[in-house]
Amino acid sequence: MRGTLVNLTVNPCKMCMPMGAATALYGIKKCMSILHGSQGCSTYIRRHMATHYNEPVDIASSSLTEEGTVYGGERNLMQGLINLIKVYHPEVIGVATTCLAETIGEDVQRIISNFYEIYPEYRQVTIIPIASPGYSGTQYEGYMEALYQIVKAVPMNTVRHQKVNVVTGQLSPADTRYLKTILDSFGLDYILLPDLSENLDGGYEPEYQKLPAGGTDIREIGKMAGARMTIELSTFAGETKSVGRYLQETYGVPCQVLNLPVGLRDSDRLLKFLKALTGREIPAAIRKERARYLDAMVDSHKYFGEVRAAIYGETDFAYSMVRLCTENGIFPVLTATGSKGDRLKELIREELQGVSDILNIRETIILDEVDFQTIEARAREAKVNLMIGNSDGRRIAGKLGIPLIRRGFPIHDHVGGQRLRILGYEGSLSILDEIANCMIDRKESSFRDELYARYYKKLQADISMQATSVKPAESRTDDRTQSHPCFNCKAHKYARMHLPIAPRCNISCNYCLRKYDCPNESRPGVTTQILKPQEALQKFLEARKKVPYLTVVGIAGPGDALANFPETRKTLELIRKEDQDITFCLSTNGLMLPHYAEDLISLGVSHVTVTMNVVDPSIGAKIYGYVDYMGVRYEGEAGAAILLTNQMAGLKLLTSRGIVCKVNIVMLKGINDSHIPEVVHKCKELGVTMTNIMPLIPVKGSVFEQLEPVGEDELLAMRKACGNTLKQMYHCRQCRADALGTLGQESFSIAVASRSGIMVDQHFGHVTEFYIYQYHNGDIQLKETRQVEKYCDGSLECEEKEDRIGRIIHSIADCNAVIALRIGEAPREKLKAKGIQVFTDCDGIEAALHKAASKLRIKAENHMAK
Amino acid sequence: MGNETLLEDRRDFIFVKQEGCSGKGLRCDSNSVSGSVSQRACVYCGARVVLNPITDAVHIVHGPIGCASYTWDIRGSLSSGSDLYRNSFSTDLQEKDVIFGGEKRLEAALEEVIEKKHPRLIFVYATCIVGVIGDDVEAVCKRMAAKHKLRIIPVQSPGFSGNKATGYKLACDAIMELIAPHKAKKQLKQPGLNILGDFNLAGELWMVKNYLKQMEIPVIAGITGDSSYDTLLQAPVATLNVVQCAGSSTYLAKRMEEELGIPYIKVSFYGMEDTMNSLLRIAEELNNAEARKRAMFLVDRETRKLEEFLKVYRPRLKGKKAAIYVGGGFKAISLIRQFRSLGMETVLVGTQTGKKEEYEIITELVDETAVVLDDANPAELERFIKEKGAHILVGGVKERPLAYKLGLAFCDHNHERKHPLCGFDGVVNFTKEIDQSINHPVWSYLKEADL
Repeated sequence: MRGTLVNLTVNPCKMCMPMGAATALYGIKKCMSILHGSQGCSTYIRRHMATHYNEPVDIASSSLTEEGTVYGGERNLMQGLINLIKVYHPEVIGVATTCLAETIGEDVQRIISNFYEIYPEYRQVTIIPIASPGYSGTQYEGYMEALYQIVKAVPMNTVRHQKVNVVTGQLSPADTRYLKTILDSFGLDYILLPDLSENLDGGYEPEYQKLPAGGTDIREIGKMAGARMTIELSTFAGETKSVGRYLQETYGVPCQVLNLPVGLRDSDRLLKFLKALTGREIPAAIRKERARYLDAMVDSHKYFGEVRAAIYGETDFAYSMVRLCTENGIFPVLTATGSKGDRLKELIREELQGVSDILNIRETIILDEVDFQTIEARAREAKVNLMIGNSDGRRIAGKLGIPLIRRGFPIHDHVGGQRLRILGYEGSLSILDEIANCMIDRKESSFRDELYARYYKKLQADISMQATSVKPAESRTDDRTQSHPCFNCKAHKYARMHLPIAPRCNISCNYCLRKYDCPNESRPGVTTQILKPQEALQKFLEARKKVPYLTVVGIAGPGDALANFPETRKTLELIRKEDQDITFCLSTNGLMLPHYAEDLISLGVSHVTVTMNVVDPSIGAKIYGYVDYMGVRYEGEAGAAILLTNQMAGLKLLTSRGIVCKVNIVMLKGINDSHIPEVVHKCKELGVTMTNIMPLIPVKGSVFEQLEPVGEDELLAMRKACGNTLKQMYHCRQCRADALGTLGQESFSIAVASRSGIMVDQHFGHVTEFYIYQYHNGDIQLKETRQVEKYCDGSLECEEKEDRIGRIIHSIADCNAVIALRIGEAPREKLKAKGIQVFTDCDGIEAALHKAASKLRIKAENHMAK
Repeated sequence: MGNETLLEDRRDFIFVKQEGCSGKGLRCDSNSVSGSVSQRACVYCGARVVLNPITDAVHIVHGPIGCASYTWDIRGSLSSGSDLYRNSFSTDLQEKDVIFGGEKRLEAALEEVIEKKHPRLIFVYATCIVGVIGDDVEAVCKRMAAKHKLRIIPVQSPGFSGNKATGYKLACDAIMELIAPHKAKKQLKQPGLNILGDFNLAGELWMVKNYLKQMEIPVIAGITGDSSYDTLLQAPVATLNVVQCAGSSTYLAKRMEEELGIPYIKVSFYGMEDTMNSLLRIAEELNNAEARKRAMFLVDRETRKLEEFLKVYRPRLKGKKAAIYVGGGFKAISLIRQFRSLGMETVLVGTQTGKKEEYEIITELVDETAVVLDDANPAELERFIKEKGAHILVGGVKERPLAYKLGLAFCDHNHERKHPLCGFDGVVNFTKEIDQSINHPVWSYLKEADL
C-alpha cells in the first residue's frame, strides 16, 4: 500500500485469492467449488461473479460457525462435501480455503484424506485442496494457485503424446472461444487449462444444467505431463505459481511463455509460433483479420494523438493494454495494478523506452499494490482523459467526466462483461474502435459549443424565451368524475367545497328570491357571506388541511358564477396555483355560457352544471321573470328564448370539448312537470352526462311561494322515467353555496384482529389484542387497542378459563363487526348470534374496514327496507 | 428432476402448503447447512447493510481485502450530504499482520484517516480473522477516540459468529452506543418520528418523508437512510419510531423503547395497501386526527391515479404465478400482497432470514399449494420454480441469472437497484418492471430453443 494513504486501502483495486480460485475452478469440467470459511465469502464472490457473467454462479460454503472456528471445521467441511456431492454430482470439487480457515490452521489435505477413508463411496470424486487465504495475495495469485494445485493434485499419466498444453490467465469466455478458434485453425491438438468459454457464458438450453458441463476435462489434465510442450499465455505467471514451469521441472515438458495475444505484435507472435509449431501456414481468414486490423489502425490513427490513457487491472491485462496503446500512438500516462508489480514496472519502462521519442512521451506513472483513491488522485494530476479497465473505475471516470473503455473483471455496470474481448486482431480492433469513437464523440459533442463560446458569444447578448404551456383539461376528466361527489354517487366519501364568490345574477327565476341564495344549487336560508377571490383561496387552503377527500372546488353562486366572471376567473386561477389536482366545478343558469365556455376550459373547469328547466320558450316564460342580456332586459318568451338558446349552445360547446355537464331541472307542479322528459331528451342530444331533477323548495316571498312542491313519489317516478333516457342523480342534497363536506351518513364500530396494526394478519382464535376502529362516513379512526384478557370483567364467559374464544368474543361485544384473517365455524356462529358481523380478510386494515363497512351499510339498508 | 435436490438436512426448512395445515412446522432462524449453496451472506454483511447509509461516517473494514472489495459502494443508498460512505476503507491485512496481530495497523489507519478525512464518526468492522487473531479492536477504538475526541465504534462482526441477522443486531447495538449518551430529557421531546430500517435505496426514504411532510409530521432522523452523525444524535428526541425493515431494525426499536422511552410501530411502504395503512397507522399512533385526514387525502389522490394506471396492467398480469426469494420475511409478505393486488398468485416464497411469526403469515397468505422455504439454495429454487410453474422470480442479484436460465421473468428487489419500489411511485415502477419482464416477447422464442 503505497497510496495516498499509507496505512489504509481506500477503494480496492484488487480482490482476494478465493475469488481467483473460484474463477479458475469454473473452467474445469463437472467441477464444483466449496469455500472453507464463513458463509459470507461464498455469497459475496457469487454476487461479484454473477453480476459480471450474468450466469448462475453456484459456490458452496462450509458455513463455519463459532463452534467450527474454535474446535476446527472438519465436521462442517465433510458435511458440506457430502451435501455438494448429493445435490450436484460433481466429478471434481475444489476446496478453496479462506482467511478464516487458514488462520485457524485447517489442514484441508488431511480432512480430504479422512473424508475418503470414512466415505469410500465418494472416492471417484476428485477433491482438490487449494490454499487461498485472502491475505496472501490477490485474485490473480488465487487463480494461478488454483491451476497449480489442480495440476498437482490430478494423477498424471506421463506417457508422451502430441498434444500441447495451453495455460492462460483469466480470460473472458468470448476471448477463450476466440483462442480456441485460432488453435483449431492450425489443426493443433491441445489441452486448454482452464476453459471458461462455456461455463460462464452458457446459452439458453431447454433443460438447465446446474453442474457446469463445459470446461477442461480432468482426464485431459491428467495427460498434461505427457504433452509435447506447454504454451503459457501469461507474462507474469512465473511471478507466482506457474503450471508451465511446474510441468517442465517435474515432468520435463518444455514451456514457452508468451504475452497474451493482444495488439499487432503479440498476436503476430503467437501466430508465428503456432505456424512454426504445426508447420502450417497461417490461415487466410486470420491473415484477413490482420489486414483489417492494420487498415483500422491507419484509419483511426489521427484520433489517438490526444488520448491520455489510464490503464488499470491485473498485471497481464495492464501490460497488454500498454503495448496495444503504444502501437497505436496512445500515450498511457498512468498504469496501475492492485497486485505486486515489480516486473510489470520493469517491462513497461522497457516498452516505453523504444517508443518515447516517436510518441514524444516525457513521463509516465506506474503504480502497483495501489487502490482507486490513489489512481484517482494521480489520474487527475496526469490529466488523464480516457480510462481502460474494469467497471470499478467508473466512479473516477464519472468524477473526471471522461470515458471508460470497459475490459477485464469485473464489469458490474454494463451487461456482456463475459463477451468483452481483447485477444487477437479482432479483440484489439474492438478496443481500438471504442477508443477512437470516444475521442470522436468528445469532439463532436463539444466543438460547436466551445467554438461558439469562444468566438461568437461575445458578439451577441443572450435572448432567452420562455413559453408556458397550458395543460389540457380533458385528459383527466374521467378520473375527476370518479371522485366528484355530485357526479358519481359512489364517490360519496369525497368532499366538495362551494365558494360563495358570485353575488350577482342576470336572470330572475320565479322560484327564487334574490334576497337569499339562489335555490338552483343552494337551499334558501341564511344569506351567505360573500368572499373575495383572495379570501376564497384562504378558505380553500384551510379546508384542504381539515377535510379529508376534498377533491372538488365548486362555484355555485349565491348568484350566477358567470354573471360574476372576473371573480370566478380570479378565484380559480388563485386556487390552481396552489393545487394542481383539485377538480373545478361550476354551476350556472347558462345565459353567458357561450361567451365564457372557452375561458372555463382554459381555466381547467372540468364539470359544469346548468339549470335548464325547459326547452320550450312558452313554458319558460312562466318560470323566468326577466333575462338581462348584453345590457338589455328581456321579458316573457323573448327572454326565455334567449336564455334557452344560450343554454343549449353553451352545453353543446362544453360537451364537444370533453367537459362533463349535468343539467339541473327544478320540477314545478303544473308548469314544467309533464315537459321534463322532453328536456331530458334534449340534454341527451346535447351530450349531457346526467340530469338532476329536483323538487321545488318554496321560498317565502318568491312568485312560486304558494306553489305546491311535488311529492317524493312523484319525483322518484319522474327520475325513474327519465332514467331510461339519461343517467339520473338520486343523491342530490341541494347544497348551499358555501357547502363543505361529504354527502352521506353512516357509523360503525369494528374490531380488527391484527398483529402488525397494518394488516389483518391474525387468526381470530389467536387474538390477544384487538384494534377497535370507528367508521364514520367513510372516515376511519382508531379508537383503542383492546387487550382481550384485561377486558374480562368476571362475568360468566370469562370464568371458564378454557373458553378462550368466549373471552375473545366478550371483549368485542360492543362492536358491529369483527375482521380476522381466519375464523373457526363455532366462533363465527357465536358472533352471529350476538349480532356481530364476521369478515375474513388478509388485506390491509384500511381496505378491509372499507369493505366491511360497505357490506354493513348494505345490510343496514336492506334492514331498513324491510 | 428427482428428489436428490433436497438434502435431508434441509427438509425441515421447506414447507409445502396443504389445506388445513398451518405453517408452524417450518424451521428457520438457524445456521445454514454446509455445502448447500446458501444465498445468505455473513455477520459483517448484516452489520454493514444497516450502518452503511450513515453518510458522513468512515466505515473501516479491519481485515484482509476481500470483504472491503466486495462491499465497495454496492448499495443504492442515496445521500443528500456527504459521500464519504461510498468509499471502501480497509486495513488490508497481510500475512505478517495475521501472525503479529493487526492492532498496530488499525491504529495507524485510524490516525491517518482522522488526519486526512476529519470524520466525526468512524465504524470499525472486525472481520473473520480479526476475531481469531485476537486484536483488541475495542481497546484501540476507545484509545483513539479519546485521543482525537471523536466517536469510533467497533463492530465485532466476524463472519463465523452467526448469520446476517446477527450482523443486524450488532449494527443496532452500534447505533445505540452512538446515540444512548444523547438521551433526551423528557421535556425536550418534540412531536416527530424516526424512520428505522429504511436505507434510502433509490431515494425511498425521501419519498416517505415527503408523504409525512404532507401530513405535517416532522421526521427527526432516518436510521440509517441518508443519515449523518448530527441527525442520528437528534434521534432520541423523537416521540415515535416507525420500523420499515422489520428484520434489521426491530431490535433497535425495542432497545430505543426500553432505554430511551420511544415507542415503535412496524410499517411497510411496499405496495399501495401497505403504504396507505402505514401512513394512517402513523397518524393514529401519534393521535393526530388532522394528520390522518391529510394522509387520507394524500392516499386517496395517489390511489386514484394508480387505479387508472393499474386498470391497464391488471389484465396483462392476471393469473400469472410469482416466486419470491428475498432477504426478510416482512418484505416477502408485502410482495405477496402486491402480487395479489395485480391479480397474480404467489406459488413459492423463500427468505434468507425470515422469522417464525413471519412465516406463519406467509403460509396463511399464499395459495393453497405454494411452497415456503427458509434459506433456500439454487437447487431448491430451481426445482420448485419448475414444479410450480412460476412465471416470474423476485429476488436479488444472485438469483437473477438462475431465473433467466430457467426461462423465467425477473424482478430485481435488492439493495443495488436504482429505481424506488416503495410508496405510490414504487407501485408504478414495480408493476411496469413485472409487466416488462413477464410480457416480453423473448419468452415465446425460448419455447423454440432447439432448432
